[in-house]
Amino acid sequence: MSIAKRVQQWATFARTWHIYDCTWQNPFESASLVKTHLMGLHKPIYHPMNDCGDHVVLINTKEIALPGDEWVKRVYFHHTGYPGGASWTLAWQLHEKDPTMVMKKAVYNSMAGNLQRRHTMQRLHLFHDDQVPQDILANVTNQIRTPRTVPQRLDHIDKETLENFPAIMDYPKDYVLR
Amino acid sequence: MATLLKVATRTLRGTFWQTRSLTTTTPLSIKEIHEKRESNALVYEGVDVVSPRLDKMLKPACDSTFCPECTLGLDIKHTDVLILSQYVRSDGCMLPRRITKLCHRQQKKMGTLVTMAQKAGLMPNLAPSWSKKDPKMRFGWRKFNKYFLESTIKY
Repeated sequence: MSIAKRVQQWATFARTWHIYDCTWQNPFESASLVKTHLMGLHKPIYHPMNDCGDHVVLINTKEIALPGDEWVKRVYFHHTGYPGGASWTLAWQLHEKDPTMVMKKAVYNSMAGNLQRRHTMQRLHLFHDDQVPQDILANVTNQIRTPRTVPQRLDHIDKETLENFPAIMDYPKDYVLR
Repeated sequence: MATLLKVATRTLRGTFWQTRSLTTTTPLSIKEIHEKRESNALVYEGVDVVSPRLDKMLKPACDSTFCPECTLGLDIKHTDVLILSQYVRSDGCMLPRRITKLCHRQQKKMGTLVTMAQKAGLMPNLAPSWSKKDPKMRFGWRKFNKYFLESTIKY
């Protein structure tokens, strides 16, 4: 095998590390995206028996966003196995207890329930903030593009933009400013 | 009958307006109310000000009938806080249609978009004085990030 072909072989089968910023992202939209990279579905060599999945580092999982009132409508079920051991936890309560759990379950539930799923989940690294250990961050070579743009808060917009932004409504002549 | 009633109210309103025109200061100028304390007397003063938006008005908006969607064809989202904040008072209240000059449907839509932006915590500085201002300090599930879909607006 020539040197070029050998390097191509390494590059094809090497595990790539991706990073994904969860700030203001819907965890269930993101899950399908993360799943693709985690299982290696984006690779032309993909096959269910071919272990070609990548590592994905999820940061800022505390800052995920849900649409409308889904924080109180989405319920996580757990049963201890004992009689009366059922419990229902709202999404916001689970997120308060563990800020990575909603994201983790979203990715876990987006994949089919087979023997590979637990092993694929081992390649997912979740962090509730942007403090990632250096030994993990050193591997990262790619950033996954986020589907939603992070909205800008009015009090975080700089003064120059605020002043230069065109007005589309002027006050009537008898208006009392407040 | 309805037109008769309308005419009657119009004349009534006309007389009311005439009595209002007897003012000691110049009518028809934008005012700002200033609160001053002068040796245990609280003085409220209406000060004439030039509109802060006068020199940055968009040209099509200077026409008499202007709606961002009907006139400019803008697709406004609840994250467009620079536009939405123009229709809001400093305490976060939506301005009435008499002042915004929007059509009925647009007024309703803008009101909904403003509510969405406020619930998503994108305009925390335009809030009542008793507000905590920081969306992260809200109670229960409200402290977490949420966004809204414009497709849920009914009109």
